[in-house]
Amino acid sequence: MSVNTWLATGNFNTTYKQEQKTFFTSLDRSVFTFFLLILFIWPLIFPLSNKYMLVIDNVLIAIVAVMGLNLVTGFAGLISIGHAAFVGIGAYTVASFCRTIGDTHVIITHFWPVMIILSGLVGAAFGGLIGLPALRLKHLYLAIATLSFQMIFQWVINFMSFFNQGQTISVGRVFWFTGKIGRKDHYLFWYFIILTVVVLLGFGIRNLLKTRYGRCLVAVRDNDRAADAMGMNPGLTKVYAFALAGFFAGVAGALHAYLYRGVGFESFTLHESIGYLAMAIVGGLGTLNGSFWGPVAIKYLDLGVENLSEILGHYTPGMNLATALKPFTFGLVIVLFLMFEPRGIANWWRIIKSYTKLWPFRY
Amino acid sequence: MKTKQLFLNALLVLAVMFAFTSPAFAGNVYKLGLSLAITGPTSDAGNPYSKGVEDYFKFANETGILGADKIDCTIRDDQYKTDITKRNFEDYLDQGIVLYLNYSTGSTLGLKKDFEEEEIAVIPASFHRGNLDGSNYIFLPVASYSEQVISMGEYVANNHKGETPKVALFLHPSAFGRGPLADTQAAVKAGLKIDIVEVVEHGKDLDNTAMLKRLMSKGVQYVISQTIQSPVATMLKDAQRLGLTSKTFGEKGKLTFLGAHYTGGNDLIALAGAATEGYHWICSYNLTSEKTEGTTKQLALAKKYGRDAKAANSHNYANGIMVAQVATEAIRRAKAAGLKVNKENLYKMLNGMNGAKAYHPYTTVGPVTYSKTDRAGVDMLQIYSVQNGTFKKVGSPMQSVYMKKIK
Repeated sequence: MSVNTWLATGNFNTTYKQEQKTFFTSLDRSVFTFFLLILFIWPLIFPLSNKYMLVIDNVLIAIVAVMGLNLVTGFAGLISIGHAAFVGIGAYTVASFCRTIGDTHVIITHFWPVMIILSGLVGAAFGGLIGLPALRLKHLYLAIATLSFQMIFQWVINFMSFFNQGQTISVGRVFWFTGKIGRKDHYLFWYFIILTVVVLLGFGIRNLLKTRYGRCLVAVRDNDRAADAMGMNPGLTKVYAFALAGFFAGVAGALHAYLYRGVGFESFTLHESIGYLAMAIVGGLGTLNGSFWGPVAIKYLDLGVENLSEILGHYTPGMNLATALKPFTFGLVIVLFLMFEPRGIANWWRIIKSYTKLWPFRY
Repeated sequence: MKTKQLFLNALLVLAVMFAFTSPAFAGNVYKLGLSLAITGPTSDAGNPYSKGVEDYFKFANETGILGADKIDCTIRDDQYKTDITKRNFEDYLDQGIVLYLNYSTGSTLGLKKDFEEEEIAVIPASFHRGNLDGSNYIFLPVASYSEQVISMGEYVANNHKGETPKVALFLHPSAFGRGPLADTQAAVKAGLKIDIVEVVEHGKDLDNTAMLKRLMSKGVQYVISQTIQSPVATMLKDAQRLGLTSKTFGEKGKLTFLGAHYTGGNDLIALAGAATEGYHWICSYNLTSEKTEGTTKQLALAKKYGRDAKAANSHNYANGIMVAQVATEAIRRAKAAGLKVNKENLYKMLNGMNGAKAYHPYTTVGPVTYSKTDRAGVDMLQIYSVQNGTFKKVGSPMQSVYMKKIK
């Protein structure tokens, strides 16, 4: 080990265990802890309006969903274009309970952490089930299989009266130790909850990737036959990759249901699935921090274009600019990233990090 | 000393100038919010609707309908997405709105609980009857889609010659489209003499030949639509191509097409052209193709604010004006009663719009009548049909008989 644990230069690891550390220096750990502390404290010091808190909460939920998508598509190399349907499974798990026992039942309002975990598990079950075709299918064919799931999901929700034919199913307000969470604190409360979920699941993935199960995902992505020859079980790996992605998506869906206090079909369409995929690509497939960058970039791009369209609309009254501008910028950003930075924003982060580590010396 | 005096004089002159040039606005400003689809799906209706709202509030402020007080209505595009509507609504609440104007069926249903919690009166552009279930604060501007479809059923039953007329319903695959189905079936059970042979939920079909042939093989004579204009236009064009469109109402062996509010209007004629001839459309608004005092005022308003002919003649422009008129009137009445203009009192004023206090906007075919038990505004409906490329009135405004029976 290096003598100085704050600014270690060079690789002093002598065991594999040392190489598995989450933080290589004390500086890394301190900076991360400080950053996390800021994330939890800033809304108390600089309170934002509900409108902006809703946007931020929405980004955090997308991060949870994209972490799952990145596991299956980025790390395991299994393309999934039905991810919004998995998120929908989580949301509709909460909605199903609301339909059955009432949206103000104590299970919904007081035992919401249990509901969130349960939604994740239901998502995982569906993920595992949908992952079964992955045993036989690859690449484009697997993509079509996940697309089929998206279509079936949409059809079922849209036509079954139990799911209110896709129209909003209400979810009651939750309780905390201090009592019922009213409108004033709703978005701030869910900010803390979703942020906690993001941190826990983020560490979960970070640790998973250090285990043999995590390494199996990457091995199967790179060459499943070679992985098989090395004694891994590619079939099982593919199925649990889908199940894990389903779990993350299910949790994201439940959080969405509680945040919006309702579940409606339009939040889980194919368009949303493409959106999640775009977030994963823009953020950086196969990287953990890419799952954070992607949703932030795409959601704020959406918001930026929305504001720009509103401003331009005043100067071009005859033109329906926003309708064209939004899909245009969305598509353009994905194409540009695929062409010029296929490793996503995560790669910029890597470059910045390595630059600051070497600074002020180039080599 | 002289310099100081000069400086003080200059300051005094500037102060006097400022006092006279700055606006001498001493009234109150009432915040309202509208979230609707100006872009994206259904923006063809949302766009003129927003212009109607904007123009009327401008007019109300400029002409002093509320005396020195003004209305400040923020209009935001939600692209027909409930999550954006929710965001806009939250923003409006933070701004302290006293009344909220919403748009789509999906978002009205989605935010219903929020409206209840906030105890704020809401006037949506959606006439879905389900909006009123379990809600005390949603006020439909006009008769619900259910009432419109049932009224068309009644019109068919009253004007059909021969046995019980066979009817098909052509619905949008959503709550907006499906809403009237159960009510119409209930009306049939209650004695409405029509036979609903088939219910079609249309997709995004570019050709309706198979569906039309199937309806013909089942002996259907009337197709009542509850959807938007484009699928109706496709169906009408296909019917014309196949020679299935009736020349007169209820012509035997042919199909007579009818539709509710959002199926018709000038946009339908622009989309389907001559195929719309004879199309029957029900609506609670005055149309500019039939000159009245109301339509003259509507066109004058559009001209005043530089709107093009398409917007000026749109029934959705009239729809937007009407909603703004109702909101303005509620504020005016609250002021006249010496009440504070806030959420509670505007809710009271809207609920009091009935009997002698019913409100008569110039854009509709009947008065707005709200009460605690009736939150559908204009109950009167006018049937129009396309004659020589324009919508013309058929008979006088009517009110559904069976809607009252099934309520």
